[in-house]
Amino acid sequence: MGYFKLAESGVQPVVLIKVIAFYHLLRGGFFVIDQRVFKFPGVKPAALMVGILTLIQAIMIIIQAQYLATAIVQLWKQQPLETIVFPLAVFAVAFLARHLLTLLKDWLFYPFVEKTTKKLRKQFMAKLFDLGPSVVAQEGTGNVVTMGLEGIDKIQTYLMMIIGKVLDLSITPWLVLIYIAFIQWKEALFLLAIYPLIILFMIILGLAAQTKADRQYAGYQRLSNHFVDTLRGLPTLKQLGLNEQYADNVYQVSEDYRKKTMATLTIAMTSTFALDFFTTLSIAIIAVFLGFGLMNNTIQLLPALVILTLAPDYFAPIRNFANDYHATLNGKNALTAVLDILQRETPTDRELLPVREPVWQADDTVNFSHVNVAYGDDAATLKDINFDVHGFKKVGIIGASGSGKSTLINTLGGFLSPAEGQISVRGTAVPHLDQKAWQRSFVYIPQAPYLFHASLRENLAFYTPDASDEAVNAAVARAGLTDWVATLPDGLATQIGEGARGVSGGQAQRIALARAFLDDSRRVLLFDEPTAHLDIETEVDLKKTMMPVFKDHLVFFATHRLHWMNEMDYILVMDHGQIVEQGTPAELQQLNGAYVRLRSEMEGATTR
Amino acid sequence: MKGFFATFKNDHWVMPYLRRYRKLLALVLFLGFMTFFCGGALMFNSGYLISRAATHPYNILMIYVPIVLARAFGIGRPAFRYAERLTSHNWVLRIVSDFRKRLYQAVEKQAVAIRQTHQTGDVLSILAEDIDHIENLYLRTVFPLVIGWLLYLFVVIGIGYFNWAFGLLMLVLLGVIVLVMPLLSVAVNGRREFQARQVQRTFYTQLTDAVLGLGDWLISGRRGDFLEQQDQPIDEIATLRRADHHFQWWRNFAIQFIFGAAVILIVWWAGVMFTHNQSEANWVAAFGLALFPTVEPFSNMSQGVSEWPVYQDSIKRVNRLDENVPEQVAQTEIGTLTDLTLDHVKFTYPGAERQVIDDLSLALHPGEKLALLGPSGTGKSTLLKLILGDEQPTSGTITLNGEPIEKLQEQRAQLFGVLDQQPYLFNTTVMNNVRLGNLNATDEEVRQAVKAVELDDLISRLPLGYQTQVQEAGSRFSGGERQRLSLARILLQDAPIIILDEPTVSLDPITEQHLLDTVFSVLKDKTIIWVTHHLAGINHVDQVRFIEDGHFDMQGTPADLYQKNARFRALYDLDRGR
Repeated sequence: MGYFKLAESGVQPVVLIKVIAFYHLLRGGFFVIDQRVFKFPGVKPAALMVGILTLIQAIMIIIQAQYLATAIVQLWKQQPLETIVFPLAVFAVAFLARHLLTLLKDWLFYPFVEKTTKKLRKQFMAKLFDLGPSVVAQEGTGNVVTMGLEGIDKIQTYLMMIIGKVLDLSITPWLVLIYIAFIQWKEALFLLAIYPLIILFMIILGLAAQTKADRQYAGYQRLSNHFVDTLRGLPTLKQLGLNEQYADNVYQVSEDYRKKTMATLTIAMTSTFALDFFTTLSIAIIAVFLGFGLMNNTIQLLPALVILTLAPDYFAPIRNFANDYHATLNGKNALTAVLDILQRETPTDRELLPVREPVWQADDTVNFSHVNVAYGDDAATLKDINFDVHGFKKVGIIGASGSGKSTLINTLGGFLSPAEGQISVRGTAVPHLDQKAWQRSFVYIPQAPYLFHASLRENLAFYTPDASDEAVNAAVARAGLTDWVATLPDGLATQIGEGARGVSGGQAQRIALARAFLDDSRRVLLFDEPTAHLDIETEVDLKKTMMPVFKDHLVFFATHRLHWMNEMDYILVMDHGQIVEQGTPAELQQLNGAYVRLRSEMEGATTR
Repeated sequence: MKGFFATFKNDHWVMPYLRRYRKLLALVLFLGFMTFFCGGALMFNSGYLISRAATHPYNILMIYVPIVLARAFGIGRPAFRYAERLTSHNWVLRIVSDFRKRLYQAVEKQAVAIRQTHQTGDVLSILAEDIDHIENLYLRTVFPLVIGWLLYLFVVIGIGYFNWAFGLLMLVLLGVIVLVMPLLSVAVNGRREFQARQVQRTFYTQLTDAVLGLGDWLISGRRGDFLEQQDQPIDEIATLRRADHHFQWWRNFAIQFIFGAAVILIVWWAGVMFTHNQSEANWVAAFGLALFPTVEPFSNMSQGVSEWPVYQDSIKRVNRLDENVPEQVAQTEIGTLTDLTLDHVKFTYPGAERQVIDDLSLALHPGEKLALLGPSGTGKSTLLKLILGDEQPTSGTITLNGEPIEKLQEQRAQLFGVLDQQPYLFNTTVMNNVRLGNLNATDEEVRQAVKAVELDDLISRLPLGYQTQVQEAGSRFSGGERQRLSLARILLQDAPIIILDEPTVSLDPITEQHLLDTVFSVLKDKTIIWVTHHLAGINHVDQVRFIEDGHFDMQGTPADLYQKNARFRALYDLDRGR
């Protein structure tokens, strides 16, 4: 045992854990500990304390065995019952102390775990805010939410377990072994020799199972998702008239899944079996050894009984560890995922643009020069974007799906940062538009504005929570929502959003518009296909409400509904991530190039 | 406890399977019992072995039996455990197959009802999770509990055999561990678990809400508010967790305490019982050590049981699924389609006040093509549900060839093909997905259908061709391509009436135009009812109807309407960008 000596020499437990972790890492990744655990504040004193308690506990285990054996031997010698009162009392005290120490260890260690997970959760939330929606969308909303909830729960379990178990594993068996060695060195040697053998077998079998599981993983995953896939596709199955006969298919696939799972489990469980087999058999062998020793008179009953009682405790830590191996592995993976998110870089230089009220005024300019934006690995990218816009212009952005309209709007909103190029706002050069001051200058209205699960009033006043009732009502009126609000049971206090009262697409757009009305200091409007999914009549109504707002605002309007182009002062025509043409509608018409082509193609769609 | 029995009163998801697979179940319990029996027996036997050896028997043969037994128990324990784990997992997975089929059938019967009350995705994941929960109920609660009780009975009877009074004492003492503690766990933890689940759920909703609306949070600049909002549930969860842990630690300590007392009592009792001569005294060590291996199964019982409230919720939910199965109407069949007629149809959703469909009449003949327009919420989708027979009119009739639609549900897939906003592609190959339209279609027929929807080139160019996996929900393909694949499926299905429910809603105009051209050219012989939200491609149809507040408000051929109706003309021009 490479680390056996260290345990005695009183090295700091944290270092010890690292050494052990490394030892196991070398032996095929059997061990699961994320090095970053040791960087959590407060981990060292907490671990040190648990280490000391574990040491005392190991001593209690020895005393307990010693005195139980004494009592039994007294009875075996047919001594009167009085003689076992004292040993039994000591046994009772040691036994209680042992389990009280378990309680104490948990009790003292838990505050560290609780504080750490709480802090992790809060850091995670703050990081989400700083990273912004594009990064979160890349990670997947569901994934991020699960990480913040269950992921951190798993980390809590992991932290609670890992340090205690590792310390137990690195202290208890060896103390027990030393004690046994004092009594009978041969048995101690046997126990020492069997230990690496157990680990070796676990690794070999574990690896074999791993390889087999890896090979099956793809098919396995597909089978396990098949059921949810089928349920989700049920309406389609019904349309195709397959709904009834598909039930047998569900059963068959599930049975295939069972057979595959069992095949994997049969192997996967062999490593636990090996552990179980060697530990239990070792105890049996020790018992037989001791029996022979007793017959040959090389050992007395008392020490023999002590060794027999201690043998299970020698193996207990590694068995506990193996039992929770999977929980540990899950926790470690969750920890790695969360820490990776926390270590993501967030945009810096967010305060380059000076604050001013309002941020955007009639004579201000924004300028993009040779801007490149990379988004994800292979998704839409922007190449060499150049334009110059000033004051309260209305800028239309037009192009086919995937031409980069949304990416451009996201860059304008600061949700994406350019990889190269120069942006300047009001003459200030900025590396990206994730500027605190800029963010207070615009309202962003996507195809489906997000409505929070909150009251209508809170949703309307989301950017201006302190707005007065009069201001809210005025905004409601300007956004054309007054009639609708009147039909709501609780008026502005009505709960809307997911799971609450449904709001139609047109109304959602109006609520987003009202946000803009409420905050007069926001003079920039970013629209990302706001009407793409609305029916034409709703769109006409909405347009009537929108047009007056455009007047003293800088508007960026990405759409493929052509009639909006008639309202624009300036148009950017996009194709494959580039601006292929730009100018006033009249100029573009005269140019007779990409804009005219795109328009006629799109018009063709309606006239045909 | 009351809740426990109430849960199983009308249960047909848990108990029946315990009965159906009872042989395998008995095997699982036997193996589980044997695992711990061997563990205890090993210590018992070893204790006796060394005590006997210490009396220096003159012949090795005197301790030969215990020596062999020691090895047998030593090998027996891991072997039984291995077998038990495999059998129990096999048993549970077998049940899962049954569950899935049942759940599928239950959801299938009520698909329409479920979709009305819940968001489809949500309810399905919840139900799929419920099955996992019931799976765990067996593995983590039922099996350990029953095995623990068997072991308990064995220990008590074993001791009672020597001395019934002491056996009785053990019955009470160990009874605290195997009966009182689990009950206490449910009582105390159950309530907390319930609270924790509620907090978790709030946190989940809140966090999802916050993440989905992250863009707005960012723009609002209210970083402090954002963080503060999450603080409360984080603290609440921490408090509940702490209380939960404290309870668990004390409970485990209490179990150990009682267990320690039991060990001392057994040693004492053995001292009273077996000290009349040396051969009796040899048994003391056996009894003194035998109990230790049982502490693990005993203390696991309480842990498993405290998870009960989670399972209870799931059991209740799946059991509720089978209630309210809609009643069946006697079915009939029709031959070649001659007409689809709506006669003064009115419809109000159960419990609602507003009449969604208000006296609609309509007749369609083979090959006719109708476009339905109107603002959202005016009853377009409801009308489609009525035509398909998913809902029944409150008054009036909808008939095909004179037969009411509700009597033709079994023939439905031969009568209607549906292309909706998000047609579902299953996570399998392109070939399999398209073939779902007609399972008897040959590869060549599938290929012809794909060729007709103009995807043959694209698919043939893929490295795996028609064997390409479409991935989850068809994400391998773009929106327009997914619609085309579904259209190919409908071509194979070859039904006389095709319902198009806003199939182009999320497509850009050029993709939309190409798709509509394809749709109307390949379906030129079919009767088509097309719900659309704007006027792109409207010239493909021979009849346009606008629905407003549940009734038809303008109608005619597109050309007619353009000439005579100013409103239609304005909308049409707007759509063309004028």
